[in-house]
Amino acid sequence: MHPINLILMGFFFLGFTCSLHAEEAYLNYKTYCMQCHGMHGKGDGVNVPAMNVLPRDHSDNKYMMTRTNTEIYKAIKFGGPAVNKSVKMPAWEDTFTEEEIQQLVGHIRTLCCEQELVRGVNFR
Amino acid sequence: MVIEAICEVEMRYSFLVLILALFAAPVFAGAAEGGEQFLRTHCASCHDLNGPAPQTIRQLWKRDAPDLFYAGNKYRREWLVEWLQKPVRIRPAGVNYLRHINSTPPKDQKKKAGRQYDVLWGEVLKPLKHVRLDRKKAEMVADVLMSMVPNYALTANEKLDTSKKVTLDDGEVLIDKVHGCLSCHQIEPGYGGYTGAELYTAGKRLQPAYMLSYIRHPKQWDPKIWMPGYPKMPEEDLQKIVNYLILLAKEDFNASN
Repeated sequence: MHPINLILMGFFFLGFTCSLHAEEAYLNYKTYCMQCHGMHGKGDGVNVPAMNVLPRDHSDNKYMMTRTNTEIYKAIKFGGPAVNKSVKMPAWEDTFTEEEIQQLVGHIRTLCCEQELVRGVNFR
Repeated sequence: MVIEAICEVEMRYSFLVLILALFAAPVFAGAAEGGEQFLRTHCASCHDLNGPAPQTIRQLWKRDAPDLFYAGNKYRREWLVEWLQKPVRIRPAGVNYLRHINSTPPKDQKKKAGRQYDVLWGEVLKPLKHVRLDRKKAEMVADVLMSMVPNYALTANEKLDTSKKVTLDDGEVLIDKVHGCLSCHQIEPGYGGYTGAELYTAGKRLQPAYMLSYIRHPKQWDPKIWMPGYPKMPEEDLQKIVNYLILLAKEDFNASN
């Protein structure tokens, strides 16, 4: 086989696996996070009008850029109190696997910081 | 030639038997089985009577109605009999809320501090469509439902400690401020979130052992359900919350409206 073909195939599989992961995180986000953070992650979920603490707007670039990936990971896994936030954010430890939480962090980064992702900013 | 003729006769005969069976079977079965037969014919098209609960998100999205295969572990019989005669909606956003939340709504959207939020739409805005039974039939169906107890192992070790007394106010603090249940659940009609089941009827709807087990490990009952588990909740809080829910269910919520 010609080397160029191999390289093209490599790209194809790379793209394929990436999109598969993105969909899983998207499904998780749409199923579990959407109730409060909203369909598009704008912190405008259906439950919000009854809440006394507003959920984070994940499309808020300015705020989200002040958070590290570790903090977002902790907030998902251990809940709001783990990062000095409200108990209204529960711990999702028993819902997601380790890998799923990491993918969700990545998904949240695509909601808030697409330009920074393209520029290759290190979110730590 | 002969074989063909025999075949034809046999086929005709089997066809006759089939027709006979089609007409005769429901009559015999209906007379003999009662509640179980009723469940199979009237409930199985929406409710899952055999399990297991959805294992993936895609399966979860296909669910039309609550799973009933562990009904005997979950419900109180008196409540079932009453509800089957007068069915009302229990989850404000429906059993499958993904079908009933709209992100790009028209002008009638709820606003809070000038912001717009996702809204409920579709079937959940209308009264619940459900089969309505008379008392005799409801008791018959409830008996069958109460006999379905595959998850006995999950509730066997749970015991409600009624000595952990709690007032309505203390319970509300636990539900709202300490554990944040109020974000998704309502503790009186219209007060609380939409995506969870209403909590003001939970005390008379559910068995205490089920509530204790489910709050700690909802994923053991329903692997992909959107309720997060609270495995680290202190035992005392858990007992107090369940006692509070039982106390809350004794309130008359129709008194004011």
